Amino acid sequence: MTFNLSTAIWAVINFLVILALLYKFAYHPVMNFMDNRSKEIADNISEAERGRTEAESLLREYKEQIAGARQEAQEIIAKAAKAGEEERSAILAQSRNEATALLERARQEIRREKDEALLDLRREVSALAVMAAERILSRNINEEDNKRIVDDFLNEVGEIH
Amino acid sequence: MENAKVLFTILGLEVTGYVTTMWAVMLFLFLVFFVATRKLNKVPGRFQCLVEYTLETLLNFLGKVMGQEKARRFFPLLATLFLFILISNWSGLLPFAGHVEGFRAPTSTLSVTAGLAILVFVFIQIAGFREKGFGYIKHFFQPFFIMFPLNLIEELVKPLSLSLRLFGNVFGEEMVVAVLLSLCAPLVPAVMQVLGILFGFIQAIVFTTLTAVYISSATADAH
Repeated sequence: MTFNLSTAIWAVINFLVILALLYKFAYHPVMNFMDNRSKEIADNISEAERGRTEAESLLREYKEQIAGARQEAQEIIAKAAKAGEEERSAILAQSRNEATALLERARQEIRREKDEALLDLRREVSALAVMAAERILSRNINEEDNKRIVDDFLNEVGEIH
Repeated sequence: MENAKVLFTILGLEVTGYVTTMWAVMLFLFLVFFVATRKLNKVPGRFQCLVEYTLETLLNFLGKVMGQEKARRFFPLLATLFLFILISNWSGLLPFAGHVEGFRAPTSTLSVTAGLAILVFVFIQIAGFREKGFGYIKHFFQPFFIMFPLNLIEELVKPLSLSLRLFGNVFGEEMVVAVLLSLCAPLVPAVMQVLGILFGFIQAIVFTTLTAVYISSATADAH
């Protein structure tokens, strides 16, 4: 077991050299790099977490909005249905009134026609009566006969009426 | 295996096969991390994943040993210790390791492990002093003044045990493989080689963990 001082000194020198080289080219950049990356990953994770929370709150907000809109739509539909119903009953009532009025008018018309017809008839009857009277007068019969003829005539007419 | 030949000298420092292999280990580590960290992607590829996983696992492990804050502070030293020792240990498992000049597992010589242990020792003292100032020196004289020699020995034994443990294990493992190779069929040492992967890993972990513990106690609040 011999000890070579030169080799020992070389070992120290070599070690210091490789230490300096590795420090400059390996540890320093790699450590910095890994630290930066760790930080970046941590940042990314927290950012993603924040984004998720934000997205969740947005989703909740939108859901609320949609529910509100749906409710509003329901209300609008209900209101429209109610308005339609009212309109329908109003139209119905109006048409019923109109129909009644129409009927009434028709009745009046009929009554008026009837009255007119009666009047015409009466006019006709009197004409006939006059004609009958003329005929009787031309045959020159007695009063008794006259009376009987007019009565018969009137009875005849009354039956017709 | 210990009488490594001196290949050449730089500025009066002898370069042995252990030193050249250390350079190879350094080159390997540097290339792996350099390539892996050139283009860091947020979604890592396989290679980047491997490097990230290694560093992160190591950091978490050290965090359990000495607390997250200290683990981060001393991570470069501890991670480099672990990687350097691990690859050095495993380099001894490659074919021709120890049989070719200029290719010897660095951690299989006490010279290297002692060098590392002394470096760690110095670092612990500096870290302790920087953290606690003179309170750190004071702790050598506690609980009583006469405990100073024992405290000093306790402190000095740390690098000794670190270096001897690592050297002994790696060197021993290589010796076992070498002896088995000379005694049995070629397949038998392969079993030992596979175990060597595990041992190399364990020794790297042990060295790093003990260093972490020493640093942790040296910089701990006074008890």
